[in-house]
Amino acid sequence: MNNKYPSFSNIQELFKAKKEYHKNLAKLPFEEKIKILVKLQKLAMGFPSHSNKIRIVWKIDN
Amino acid sequence: MKKTIEVINELQKEGIIRKYAVGGGIAAIIYIEPVLTYDLDILYIPEKEEKGLIDISPIYKFCEEKGYKFEREHIIINEIPVQFIPVYNKLVQEAVEQSVEVEYQNISINALKPEYSIAIMIQTFRQKDKERIIKFLEQTKTDQNLLQNILKKYDLEEKYNRFIDSSNE
Repeated sequence: MNNKYPSFSNIQELFKAKKEYHKNLAKLPFEEKIKILVKLQKLAMGFPSHSNKIRIVWKIDN
Repeated sequence: MKKTIEVINELQKEGIIRKYAVGGGIAAIIYIEPVLTYDLDILYIPEKEEKGLIDISPIYKFCEEKGYKFEREHIIINEIPVQFIPVYNKLVQEAVEQSVEVEYQNISINALKPEYSIAIMIQTFRQKDKERIIKFLEQTKTDQNLLQNILKKYDLEEKYNRFIDSSNE
């Protein structure tokens, strides 16, 4: 058995792990979450927008 | 972002706004996993409360003098679009009054408590609000007594319970 990768005995366990992953993201410090937000903004800029909402990648290095 | 917060804090210090709290997506990010947003919503209690027309010109004047540009309903403060939203009902007013201080890079920022954020989202009830309410309930600790009291006070209990029942189906 290769322990290098996670294994799940059933789908419920996988969903539980997924939920836990999101919970852990929520526990990150606010500063870290803002860094992730900026990454999300950069990623989303690569896709066309169907709304006329303002889209600016935030400047956080100040 | 630090400079942006400093400008907002200055508005409060200068008495242009009485009190503010971060709302919307950024208030959510304080408590839940990061969600995509491009603007910083600032809910605020104006210094002068007048019935009828809401005068937001003092905020715009202050920012214009500092050289910040406007883009539609936003003021771009250090490359972050900020939208100033005066408190528009009693729930939002109480939410701002009861806001808490959160640290960002060693400076304080006022933010809504999660219980007030949930109640406001129950009131606005857009699709993104519904998704965020679920995340709030799954990912952060909320004071259930406080939440129930707020919901009861603003007649949102039934709407909340119906939403919770439907999301559990």
